[in-house]
Amino acid sequence: MKELVEYIARSIVSAPNDVKVIEERDSSGVVIKLEVNAEDKGRVIGKQGRVAEAMRTLLRVVATKEGTRVRLEII
Amino acid sequence: MKELEVSAKTVDEATRVALEQLGATRDEVEVTVIKKGKSGVLGMGAEDAVIRVIILEDEPKLEAVPDVAIIAKQVLTDLLKAMKIDATVEAIISAEAGVPVSLNIEGDDLGVLIGRRGQALSSLQYLVRLIVAEKVKQWISINVDVDWYKKRHYDALRKLALRLAEQVARRKHPITMEPMPPDERRIIHITLANNPDVTTQSTGEGNSRRVVIQSRKR
Repeated sequence: MKELVEYIARSIVSAPNDVKVIEERDSSGVVIKLEVNAEDKGRVIGKQGRVAEAMRTLLRVVATKEGTRVRLEII
Repeated sequence: MKELEVSAKTVDEATRVALEQLGATRDEVEVTVIKKGKSGVLGMGAEDAVIRVIILEDEPKLEAVPDVAIIAKQVLTDLLKAMKIDATVEAIISAEAGVPVSLNIEGDDLGVLIGRRGQALSSLQYLVRLIVAEKVKQWISINVDVDWYKKRHYDALRKLALRLAEQVARRKHPITMEPMPPDERRIIHITLANNPDVTTQSTGEGNSRRVVIQSRKR
């Protein structure tokens, strides 16, 4: 799931080297933390959160396949 | 985004509003008329014109299409790989207006990629468009499909639209369809745009927006 977020974020930001993704597990499932350059934050969120929402939808597809839940946090 | 749908009394009026909003001139955009609109008689049966306006970039579009198809296919393949989905991607350069590239995903058990009301598929399509736009510096409407699910679904919607239109024409009674996403509503509007007996209109907001088919004459 980390690779997916990493791939998408690196492809759409202006500073791909500043993209950091951490995958953690807690009691509720997988937590993906996405960190980007402050200037790129708007891009990974998108207008009305559309990009973040699309990423969450795809993450949910992967999580369902793996029988877990996932949460995406944009830092 | 560089694409806009506008409705107004006439096509000219809608075009003017769209250009104003986009800050573009007429030769910088491509205008697709979705509904022509009618003035009606004494306001009866009047219908707004609906147009879609896409900003054209400097690059001539047609030449770039094969390259875009290759890039888009790679992007989708990478995304599926990152999702650990085992599938192959086929790229088709299509003649359909406004959608130069279609990508079809083939494999087993791909229902998850469609999701409820096609939500996963539309997210996937949106991200492919976004990433490709970033790579080619141009917004291109790429269609993403799973085992031609959307194509079959659209064909079924066209048939349904025609059948409902017949019913509406016969009974002179409007029919409200189930809520549908924008792309599906568009299919209904386009299918019935030139129908002599009925007109279509969308009502409601967000996820509950639905198409109403009504009789043209009283």
